[in-house]
Amino acid sequence: MRKVNSIDGRNFREMFTAATNWLEKSVSDIDALNVFPVPDGDTGTNMLLTMHSTIEEADKKINGSVSAVCQAMSHGALIGARGNSGVILSQIWCGLAKGLSGKETFNGSDLAEALTQASIMAYKGLSNPVEGTILTVVKDASAAAREQAAKSDNDVISVMEATVNAANESVANTPRLLPVLKEAGVVDAGGQGLYTLLEGALRYLNGEAELMQFRKPQMVASSIPLTPLVFTAPERVAIDEIPFGYCTEMMLKGQGLEPDKLRKKLNGKGESLIVVGDDTTVRVHIHTLDPGNVMHYLTALGTIHSVSVRNMDEQHQDFLELQKQRAPATGIAIIAVVPGDRLSEVFSSLGVTSVVPGGQTMNPSTKDLLQAAEQSASDKVIILPNNKNIVLTAGQVQSLTEKTIRVVQSKTIPQGVAALLAFDYEADFETNASIMTEALSTVKSIEVTRAVRSTKLDGLSIKKKQAIGFLDGALMSVGDNMVATVKEVLEKSGLDKADVVTIYYGEDATEADAEEISNGISEKYPNLQVEVVNGNQPHYDYIISVE
Amino acid sequence: MTVKIVTDSTSDITGDMAQELGITVVPLTVSFGHESFLDRVEISTDDFYRRLEKEAIFPTTTQPAPGIFAEIYNKLAEETDEILVIVISSKLSGTYQSATNAINMVQKKCRIEVIDSTSVAMGFGLLVITAAKAAREGASLDEVVDIVNKGIPRSHLIIYFETLKYLAKGGRIGKAQGLLGAMLSFKPILTIKNGVMSPLTRMRSKAAGLDYIRSFVGGFPNIEKLAVEYSTTATDADKLADSLSENIPKEKIYRSTVSPVLGAYAGPGALAITILEAEK
Repeated sequence: MRKVNSIDGRNFREMFTAATNWLEKSVSDIDALNVFPVPDGDTGTNMLLTMHSTIEEADKKINGSVSAVCQAMSHGALIGARGNSGVILSQIWCGLAKGLSGKETFNGSDLAEALTQASIMAYKGLSNPVEGTILTVVKDASAAAREQAAKSDNDVISVMEATVNAANESVANTPRLLPVLKEAGVVDAGGQGLYTLLEGALRYLNGEAELMQFRKPQMVASSIPLTPLVFTAPERVAIDEIPFGYCTEMMLKGQGLEPDKLRKKLNGKGESLIVVGDDTTVRVHIHTLDPGNVMHYLTALGTIHSVSVRNMDEQHQDFLELQKQRAPATGIAIIAVVPGDRLSEVFSSLGVTSVVPGGQTMNPSTKDLLQAAEQSASDKVIILPNNKNIVLTAGQVQSLTEKTIRVVQSKTIPQGVAALLAFDYEADFETNASIMTEALSTVKSIEVTRAVRSTKLDGLSIKKKQAIGFLDGALMSVGDNMVATVKEVLEKSGLDKADVVTIYYGEDATEADAEEISNGISEKYPNLQVEVVNGNQPHYDYIISVE
Repeated sequence: MTVKIVTDSTSDITGDMAQELGITVVPLTVSFGHESFLDRVEISTDDFYRRLEKEAIFPTTTQPAPGIFAEIYNKLAEETDEILVIVISSKLSGTYQSATNAINMVQKKCRIEVIDSTSVAMGFGLLVITAAKAAREGASLDEVVDIVNKGIPRSHLIIYFETLKYLAKGGRIGKAQGLLGAMLSFKPILTIKNGVMSPLTRMRSKAAGLDYIRSFVGGFPNIEKLAVEYSTTATDADKLADSLSENIPKEKIYRSTVSPVLGAYAGPGALAITILEAEK
């Protein structure tokens, strides 16, 4: 691991731009975690929007010192903060700016100091700080940073590593500290968001910018076993919280403003009160049944801007609906390895709990599969490897986890789909593993691609770049013309006895060609049900299932 | 005095069955825009499905008003002092509310029990038939209530759907919500669980669906009664019933059609099979 002793303003800005892009990828996952202080499912979105504003301001200080850039970011966060989590994040930025004030560049110990200030500011902004939230995470992260800075020789990366590891552990621990999280079966959303940001920044420092484009941030798994999310909505959410009302936010601008005094005054007017700012600009966030009253009070002190009043009850209903849809209704999680975004969407739309990207050329590691299994809300997990090179890896997962894993040994995408559709919502885990395994043999898989080298296989000569078609792994056809090759393999797949043919065309194929193939077999076999799906998969121009 | 049995039109018992067994069927209402029709009475299943596929607007359905039940209770109270009412799942329709509220409107002294079948179609239709037969043989109200309550967990309904769009539009999709939005076509097979629609599994084709149904039925060693219903595809239902009758005597198989009110949610091409397991 390389060492970095100093980071300037430009690198700082780039670090967090990368971190923001990283956060963007898990916004909906984080939104789904949110149960405190009110289940309105916005944390991911709010933190992202806050970061967008943060980076926007930073972009205005391209050549500035770290101090100037961070100051700009803090300002951006303050004006762009959305929701509880956004506001606390802006406090974190305020603290970072304070810690890095006056500095041209920063090193490991500067970073530890800045994180410490961030933690202090985050707690300060709240009249009622609660442990087991983003607050605990920033506190734990800053403690680890300080410890590491004292040991290492100002190396930023090692301090950042320690910070990120501590943040991860802290997020995993949040259900232990906050009962509502344990009850709802999730880790804290704000904490997860902060962790993802820090992790993104670290990955950037480690030179993983390109890798980050193809990956997705993993959600932190809880350190205590959580009950599977068979959905019963948490009735009671926060201690002392009045059930819902209006989430009211606004900026107050004026002269001689006193945030602390203001906080005391507003304390009785609602819940989840956050008042942050300085003598000219104060941001107020409150959950109240009477937003008019709060605004009335503030307009006497200055001018109000960017007012937002949201009905939390409506949001709560939407959130419950979203959760209901996501909840594995059966207590069984299904993880599938799928290449390409579109095919992944197809699997997700059929009820797969999570998709691990990967396939022929990019096999996922045991760790990738393990993480997906650990992160799912169920203790019983079925894995669909969908590729013969991944079956063994999948088999390794059981020995690394307390959960019960069954690998349904799908060797192709069509087998994976067949197994998935065969899932019986009324049957138990073991029975389903059997049913799904039996379903594998009900489908024939055709895979057609272009040869990457010249060779001889199954008695046929192949020249590099020629189209080669396989039926259940056996080479059936070789040719220069892709469409002709596909048709040839189809002819050998027993279409006269088949019911349904599904053609998934990949990123190197066109819809027009896929339609041509489809029409060709429909004409010849009018009773056959033919479906064309844009799988956009890499490597295989056509993947076809024959059932 | 003989217990009188009352049910609603979603039990799918045919006019013949109702007449033969002396069952009173209270119709729900299905409406296309401003035109309303009493289920099975004022609109035939054929006409209904013809309109369903052609019309741009989705039909809506309404439960019978309490007053209708009250009228029937009052009339039956002249012949008996014990009435048993068995209705569609209270989670799918307000019919149960109507049937219960109507009890207060009854003038004559009469014992009226209302049972929420927690099911739909022949899923409870077979129980209505069982109750009526028991009543005819002289069972008391308490005895018939017991028979029905014991029958409910032994009744298994599976429905093959061509499409879930009517169920989703009509807001009755229940736990099968997760089947929506799929990017691949399949035929859903649903059941009813705790009074709401619930997914069972998915089949790629109708042929596979029919095979599944056959093996599902085959999984029950002792069947007391079996029902086969369809919304529009009579031939499929006939073929299915024929293949099932290879293992089950014809007298135990009841044939019917899915009533228009239910059809508004099931859509065309639906097949519903109910297995009433024999008592252990």
